[in-house]
Amino acid sequence: MSEKVTKEQVYDAIRKVIDPEVGFNLVEMGLIYDVIIDDDNNVKVVMTLSTRGCPLHQMLTQWVKDAVMTVPGVKSAEVEVVWEPAWNISMADDNVKKALGAL
Amino acid sequence: MFNVSREFAPPFSLIAPFFVLGSIFYLVAAFLLPMFDAHTTHFDIALVGWAHLFLLGFVMMIIFGAMAQLVPVVLEVGHFSVDFYYLIWPFLAIGTIVMVAGFWLAPAVLPYGGLMVLLSMLIFLADTILTLRKVERVSLTVKTVAVTNAFLLLGILVGFAMALGIGVGVGVDITKWLNAHIVLVLGGYVTLTIMGMSLILLPMFGLSHGFDEKPINRSFKIMVGGVLLYLLASLIDWDGLRFVALLTMLVAMGFYLYQIWLIYKTRARKENDIWFKSMAFGYGSLAISVIIGLGALLSGSEHLGLAAVWFLVMGFFTFLINGHLYKIIPFLVWFERYSPLVGKERVPMLAEMYPKKMADYEFWFSAAGVAIAGLGLLVGSDTLFKAGAAFIATGAVFLLTSVRWMLKFGK
Repeated sequence: MSEKVTKEQVYDAIRKVIDPEVGFNLVEMGLIYDVIIDDDNNVKVVMTLSTRGCPLHQMLTQWVKDAVMTVPGVKSAEVEVVWEPAWNISMADDNVKKALGAL
Repeated sequence: MFNVSREFAPPFSLIAPFFVLGSIFYLVAAFLLPMFDAHTTHFDIALVGWAHLFLLGFVMMIIFGAMAQLVPVVLEVGHFSVDFYYLIWPFLAIGTIVMVAGFWLAPAVLPYGGLMVLLSMLIFLADTILTLRKVERVSLTVKTVAVTNAFLLLGILVGFAMALGIGVGVGVDITKWLNAHIVLVLGGYVTLTIMGMSLILLPMFGLSHGFDEKPINRSFKIMVGGVLLYLLASLIDWDGLRFVALLTMLVAMGFYLYQIWLIYKTRARKENDIWFKSMAFGYGSLAISVIIGLGALLSGSEHLGLAAVWFLVMGFFTFLINGHLYKIIPFLVWFERYSPLVGKERVPMLAEMYPKKMADYEFWFSAAGVAIAGLGLLVGSDTLFKAGAAFIATGAVFLLTSVRWMLKFGK
């Protein structure tokens, strides 16, 4: 039986997904709300987008799924996009806020 | 959870002609600007021809191209059939050229040009209306799209009737309906469309959140009321009601500007890139247009009225359109050429995909041109107007070069 996948591994994988409009990864943008991993290493990522009508919606979710599947041991990956709570800049890391001029 | 933007990215080959042709029409119109002076009136047939060249060839061409991309984004459903757009740009381009030839050279061809333009817009409306029928979440923007398209239909029908009047002598009172045509198309379609789109695009690019949306709701309703009042005033030919209608529209613009201020205040992204500078100049021009427009309304001055329309069209419409080209074109190019490479190799960021210096030159020449020529219109100086027009033409060269640069990125 394969080893239990950790949340840190999944977050690290998602850090490789960059939003091309702002140039930051989705984790530091604060767009990843939660990562749920069951006993069989099926991973569910709960995330949001910075805007509801984001034209990259489908691509971003697919990239997240692809990134999660690169983690050794992951059996399946699912992405759920939620709009509550709505994303705002306070959810981003300080380096993002600073680079955007919001800090 | 909602399904958002399923078919959000129409083929690049479909949208590129809109932006290329729009930029070329802009360049041609800019180079023809010096044939006018500060004393031209809006009934001058040469100016009417130029206005159609600029508004159909540039403003509507770019708006339609952008709509192919933006309709799914703002309505949150895919197009009924995005392939309709393959028909829109050829009809619109040829129709515009024929119409302008009709105004300037041979009135008899005007209805033919008008018919082609009408066809292009009916195709656009057909796709938009059929797409609207798929919408589940009726937001303010959805309502805006529905109402603006109704005004567009009315506006182009009135325009076509006038084209028949000029071209083949159909009995249409041009002096009575010209202003209604202008208000329906510029106020009822272009301005309201920009209002609706900006509520999506400005927060998206500026990362603004948590702002009050009451002012835009009020602005939208008041503006619709103003356009309808103007239409009624034209039908019953009552100047007093026209005055009230125009005043109503100016009030609507006041609320809209307040909304933009609220969005600006809550933006998280503070970089002053070409997009932001263009927005700042565009909204500054709108504020100036509203103030001059109020003066024109109270004084009844044609002179001031033209200056108000100048800042509205050349300042507000043009800078909002051009500013967004630096966002939309890189996205389309990135999506076409780089999205398949994500995760396999380094892909460029969108901010790297427009020519910063050239875009800056475009901005500064165009901004100086609009300001100088606008001042020329205000003080009645032909020299200032023509000098400003020369600056705008120079800016247009940089715009076309920038568009070409962006479209070729990574090729």
